[in-house]
Amino acid sequence: MNRFARLFWTLALFTSLGAQLPAQDWIRTGTGLGVEKIRLAVPDFKAAATDADTKRLATAFSVTLWNDLQAAGIFDMVSPSFYPLGIPGAPQDVNLSHWSDPPPNANMLVFGNALVQGGSLAVQGWLYDVKNPQSPQVLGKQYRESASEDNARTIAHRFADEIIFRLGGGIPGIAESKIFFVSKRSGTKEIWQMDYDGSNQKQITRVSTMALSPHVSPDGSRVAFSAVSNAEWEIMMYSLELNRLVSFPRYQGANLSPAWSSDGKYLAFSSSRSGDAEIYTIDVAGGDLRRITDSRGPDVSPTWNPKTNAQIAFVSGRTGLPQIYTVSSDGTNLVRMTDQGYAVSPSWSPNGQFLVFAWVRNYGPGAPGASDIYVMDVASKQWVQLTHDGGRNDFPSWSPDGRHVVFQSNRSGRTQIWSMLADGTQVRQLTNQGENTQPNWSFK
Amino acid sequence: MAAGTDIFPQERSSGLSWIGSVGLHAALFALAVFGYLIPSGRGENWGGTDGGGGAISATLVTSIPLPNAQPEAKNVLANDSKGLSQSQPKETPKEEPEAIPIPARDTKQQGKQKTSAVKKTPPMQVTKAEPENIVPYGQGGPVSGPYGSFASGATKGGFGFQGGNGDFGSLYAYYVDIVRRKVSENWLKYEVDPRITEARRVYIDFDINRSGQPSNIRVAQSSGIPSLDQSAVRALQRIDTFGPLPTGYTGNYVSVEFWFDYRR
Repeated sequence: MNRFARLFWTLALFTSLGAQLPAQDWIRTGTGLGVEKIRLAVPDFKAAATDADTKRLATAFSVTLWNDLQAAGIFDMVSPSFYPLGIPGAPQDVNLSHWSDPPPNANMLVFGNALVQGGSLAVQGWLYDVKNPQSPQVLGKQYRESASEDNARTIAHRFADEIIFRLGGGIPGIAESKIFFVSKRSGTKEIWQMDYDGSNQKQITRVSTMALSPHVSPDGSRVAFSAVSNAEWEIMMYSLELNRLVSFPRYQGANLSPAWSSDGKYLAFSSSRSGDAEIYTIDVAGGDLRRITDSRGPDVSPTWNPKTNAQIAFVSGRTGLPQIYTVSSDGTNLVRMTDQGYAVSPSWSPNGQFLVFAWVRNYGPGAPGASDIYVMDVASKQWVQLTHDGGRNDFPSWSPDGRHVVFQSNRSGRTQIWSMLADGTQVRQLTNQGENTQPNWSFK
Repeated sequence: MAAGTDIFPQERSSGLSWIGSVGLHAALFALAVFGYLIPSGRGENWGGTDGGGGAISATLVTSIPLPNAQPEAKNVLANDSKGLSQSQPKETPKEEPEAIPIPARDTKQQGKQKTSAVKKTPPMQVTKAEPENIVPYGQGGPVSGPYGSFASGATKGGFGFQGGNGDFGSLYAYYVDIVRRKVSENWLKYEVDPRITEARRVYIDFDINRSGQPSNIRVAQSSGIPSLDQSAVRALQRIDTFGPLPTGYTGNYVSVEFWFDYRR
């Protein structure tokens, strides 16, 4: 080919390629521009029929949806007294400017309708961006379940999780997660389960001796806990699918505080089979027992780093009072995290960056002695105190979205389970009956 | 000259000396290369970010995925930021004349008071010439259109969106908010060299695919401070997902240019 032809074809090639490249959409933004919470308006869902069942279930749905969205911690809920009159039930009922102008001044609107027909509950829900009249719809969902209040609540949990997933930066909501805890209300300490908001509390185990420190598996099928069996503390496994205990290896000595790795392959626990309580890891089938720590002084309460599964945080009394340490899962690279006081019950956050634990910073005779919940950044060891009420707050556990912490507290008189946002706000009591301790939040 | 009084001693003819020489050279080389391993009792790093081994109380880094308790944006109407229009030359208020007391019957005093009541004409202050109608970036008031202006703490800023053929920013402003919120939460300012107090902006470009994962993170414009650039890149690497792209958006990915303003 002569020179000009080559040049021509080269040019043609490049220009044709350029013409095919789509014009790319760009976002340009930056820090320091203010990250306010999303203002969310959630009017009651419209009852699409006038019969009593529809009204009752629509109300149950709306109340649960409101509570889930408010508890998520990422929204600024617009007060219902600012809503315009008239409940929107479908997109054609919605006048966006009524919601985006003051007084509601909302960013987002959730609305929809519920209908009971032929024994099944059908719910339609929409999430609208009221500041964007051209294309307001962000979500449009439809649900159908058999008509009952429990199902109305379940649908509300599901819809709330969808909204939180969309608006909360890809982190799924926790409305369908469960909390496992120890309760003495049946007479002996047994493992119980409840929804994340404290409803549907029910007993799981019936060992009738004493069951402590429940930890549910990442897939939600089993609960590992420690219980007294034949006058020995053993790790036991309860299958939530089979509703009975399943076998798990037994070791000498006291075996306590099992903890699952986030891939469901390993358990870490504390065993004093060698005479002194040390941390061991074992695979789920019961093989490959490995010892992680090796020092005089009790090493207990392990918790895995759920992001990497390569680190374990635990409590060690090797220097006297219990302190928090982290160690790699092969036993190397031991790092001490707390520098004073009495620190117990670490729990590692789902994004792998934080530890939450109970700490008495000034411990000893003459000191106030309050046990409070603290969050510590693992990389920098900077910490923040979350509870300040001077009672005994203990046994914190992270939620799967990394935004909430459940813990036990005796601030109401008896030890009960409480939950709060991970910045210490929105503290709410979850249990009321009996004595309830040692909560563990499920993985999803 | 007697033998043996040379200035330079004669070399011993032993064959082992060169081994010793090589050995000493090797030791010297090893010292030069690996000398940093020798512990040198360095003092405490006061105020260092590694905390000196102990725990430090501090306001927590913001990567708990809760929105920060940012102060409310100032009322965009009733704040003191300059409006869109160019400001008028500033006029200093004329000084009030000194109050002249009611003249007494004494005529001698009148003369004195009059001289003290001379008004001072203040010099007219002209603002530095902004020759065009440019509003300096970040100082404008609220604008209509797909723009926004915020005030937060000490920083003010604005952002604008440019689409290719689509206006992603104006259609899906909530998604832009999510991106901004998530990156701000995951930016750990303590990773920056503590000696830096203020820095130029660093611009980071990256793409977000349909499932919300950031990729192709690159420094588009450096701030000149490597630790700041690195902390910005790491903020993005820390993020797993921003959440799925809006369903109404048809592209496979969206590109983001994100700037980081550092102020200690």
